[in-house]
Amino acid sequence: MKAPRVGIIGIGQSDYKSRRDDANYPELVREAVALALNDCQRSLQDMEAVVYSLAPDALLGIGNAERLGVDAVGARNKRFMRINTGGSTGISSVAAAHSHIAAGACDIVLVAGADKVGECGDSQTIMNKIWDPIYERSLPLGTITMLAMSALRYMHKYGMTQEDMARVIVKNRAHAALNPRAHLRKETTIEEVMSSRMISWPIKLFDCCPQSSGGCAMVLASEAYIRANNLEAVWITGLAHSSESYYLGDRMGRGYTADHADAHALGESFQRSYKMAGITDPVRQVDAAELYAPFSNTEFHAIEAAGLAPIGRSPQMLKDGEYFKLGGRLPVNPSGGTVCSNPIAVTAMVRVAEAALQVWGRAGAHQVQGAKVAIASGNGGDHQFFGTMVVEA
Amino acid sequence: MEFLKRTENWNITYEHALGETASWFYTKIRDDAEIYGRRCAESGRVLVPPRAFSDQTLAPTTDWVKVGPEGVIEAFTIVYDAFKNLPPPPYAFGYVLLEGADTAIGGYFKGVDLGDPAAAARKLAIGTRVITRFAKERKGDVLDFWFETV
Amino acid sequence: MRTALQVGMIGCAFHAPRNHDTASLEEAVHQATHNALRDAGLAIDDIDGIVVAANDQYDGRAISIMAASGSVGGVGRDILCTPSCGEHAFVLAALRVGAGQFRTQLVVSWSSLETTTLSEAQRLGTDPYFHRQLPIDDLSSHGMQANALEARVPGARDAAIAVTAGSRKHAAIAYPEFSAGPVDPRVIASSRVVRWPLTEGMVSQPAFAVVAVVLGSDAFIAERGIGQPAWIHGMGWATEPGFLGDRDLAELPSLRSAAQQAYGAAGITQAESAFDVAEVADASPYQQLLALEALGLCQADAWQACIGRGDFRSGGRLPVNPSGGALSFNPVFCAGLMRIAEAGNQVRGQAGRHQVADVTKALAHGASGFAMQYNTVVVFGRDRKEVQQ
Repeated sequence: MKAPRVGIIGIGQSDYKSRRDDANYPELVREAVALALNDCQRSLQDMEAVVYSLAPDALLGIGNAERLGVDAVGARNKRFMRINTGGSTGISSVAAAHSHIAAGACDIVLVAGADKVGECGDSQTIMNKIWDPIYERSLPLGTITMLAMSALRYMHKYGMTQEDMARVIVKNRAHAALNPRAHLRKETTIEEVMSSRMISWPIKLFDCCPQSSGGCAMVLASEAYIRANNLEAVWITGLAHSSESYYLGDRMGRGYTADHADAHALGESFQRSYKMAGITDPVRQVDAAELYAPFSNTEFHAIEAAGLAPIGRSPQMLKDGEYFKLGGRLPVNPSGGTVCSNPIAVTAMVRVAEAALQVWGRAGAHQVQGAKVAIASGNGGDHQFFGTMVVEA
Repeated sequence: MEFLKRTENWNITYEHALGETASWFYTKIRDDAEIYGRRCAESGRVLVPPRAFSDQTLAPTTDWVKVGPEGVIEAFTIVYDAFKNLPPPPYAFGYVLLEGADTAIGGYFKGVDLGDPAAAARKLAIGTRVITRFAKERKGDVLDFWFETV
Repeated sequence: MRTALQVGMIGCAFHAPRNHDTASLEEAVHQATHNALRDAGLAIDDIDGIVVAANDQYDGRAISIMAASGSVGGVGRDILCTPSCGEHAFVLAALRVGAGQFRTQLVVSWSSLETTTLSEAQRLGTDPYFHRQLPIDDLSSHGMQANALEARVPGARDAAIAVTAGSRKHAAIAYPEFSAGPVDPRVIASSRVVRWPLTEGMVSQPAFAVVAVVLGSDAFIAERGIGQPAWIHGMGWATEPGFLGDRDLAELPSLRSAAQQAYGAAGITQAESAFDVAEVADASPYQQLLALEALGLCQADAWQACIGRGDFRSGGRLPVNPSGGALSFNPVFCAGLMRIAEAGNQVRGQAGRHQVADVTKALAHGASGFAMQYNTVVVFGRDRKEVQQ
């Protein structure tokens, strides 16, 4: 059964930085909200519901911090709920907002959030606490070590090298240099990445995302509202989530459904989104991709899960020069992506926002020429939850 | 304009119930220096560490299966950075597929010189054979054992 | 205009083991999932998606959905999490089915007791900018709200004591296996003060529970021949601001908004006479009073009379919290979802010993956060909703 169409009418993003000492957390949220409302010439009063995007409370140091964000998003006496699916929170929040409208409960919904990862004493300590206290908490697991192991397995399976990983950073920094919102905008070279400090073999400092502070907000509306108010919009035509087993060790050994080297559940999620959007040949039909990849190596299995390259082949395709760069074929992360800005609570929303800007023709210097169909993805948990979306003009 | 800050620390203590399956697993480690997995009835996969049910099928697991002490490295990393509340670097840890198991269990790798990352990575390459070593004094914890290359 | 798809509650389970130390949290969540599926007559493969809700600080897991995901059938499935409260998980799940994207949803929320002090975990919910130094936990916020209400409504205290006694009598029938606290109004009134004006007898110790609910679309329900669902006729949810000082704690405008949304959707114009049973928030008896008022069931000047007359007791004109409510069994974080589930069960004829006879319409209200910050209202009906074209 076809649900009514849901459009994106407004987008607001902070300029992502390490620290924002000039604004407390609710103020950062409010900043992004003001930008999004201004973008679609709506007021807070117009919003019928708010979906609040916030990942682990511990990163902010406030339990159920969304309660303090109520006024920042103008939600007094309004429909309000908070979503947390770890790193994929931002895209899950947009999906939840989509359901509000597609179910006919609301005509216009605000999605918003912010993060101040730079203010937290040590994000890896908190990231260690995401593992269960029964078996894995005693191990020094964190997001960096977990994805370093993914890199190792991917290298073992497909022959990826550290230079291949570095090439992703070089590409994305060049994109970020054209994106005024991005946190890390300085271009770099393979040599510079290779000589950066080793953090967790084989991931080096430059292979990692930054700890960013900033906010993001979007306004979604029903087709009826958009037409009645004569608004410009781009459309969410496909959305889905899927997840893997929480146990990293189950994605290895024998008889596994998903290998920790790959992003199997991300692939499942894209298949479902594509089906909903009627995309049967992503290589031909997708113009731009904003894929969540907090470390250089993870961009490869994301590209493959999105069906943009055969499994294991994307490093070579990037090396050959034609693919995945702005100006080339199948540009991936024209905004610079997560390795250039990672305000965790909203990073996955930024992927949707950037995909939307692309098909809207509003991506400025990092615009993919003629983009009409873009995809976005978000990863959460221990590479466990995957949200995907298709956005079209 | 003077920008002020406040320092806060989160300090909450938890007593996490381990349940029957994990409790039995840990008592075997503590008392007998043995590692066990549990078989998923539907797929036949021996899950290590053990669980009361398979998350793929939601069906209960059935019999206990002794695994190891030998095994093979499935994934590893070597950490060179210091993170608050985590061990001082360098250290290596990862996942090992023990003999008889179908899933890999996490643990530290000891006894390898970590000075040269590339050389250490070669010694711990995926597929390397390892043996499980147990501490003399054991508490019933994953830190009661670690892995060494053979 | 196309007829809106309707959503029904088709399965439910409460898992509340006396001794919660013998199973891990994930195992308990799995048990509740298993029981709810069995109650619905479904297998996990029939579930298209899941929404869970838990509090990371209570659980001691920085992203509670992670380890729990496997327990609720999350592998390979579309699973989201609303840590704001358990009620929101229900709302989102209902929206997902209503959007036509999913034919079924499983909703699971839980409240663990593994932290040595729940109060400490709750206090982390205050902002570090102005209020962290103050001892604001759930109970303190309930106390502040109670004081505000007593100041506004003379006689509120007596009404609160009567409400407490009534709930405990309900609990003695509904869930005698759980220690329900004192029943005698004099004991309730004179027991040790925990947070003025709340006495120990007026509240219930935090309990451990997992609540799981299964929802289905009308097409799915018809296809499977599932009997007696509780149809969702209307749903409303709204929030107060975060700073207690920004609010008049004796009023609940967000609950009025939520009720308005739900009643509007359900075509309810006279709340006082529309329902056969109600399950409302009552972590303290003052919450129930505020709820009765904001839900339009009983204005403040009528509390003494109506409560005194037994209007809200089992057998009265509108039984309120025949389950005994949170006043008798309080699984803090999922208490709100429990109210919704209890109301749904009344319509399904699955409320066991506390089943009210001939329920055609039930009202559910859950509140969470300091001093009832989040309010959610659900109207359930036995028959499919009449839809206006």
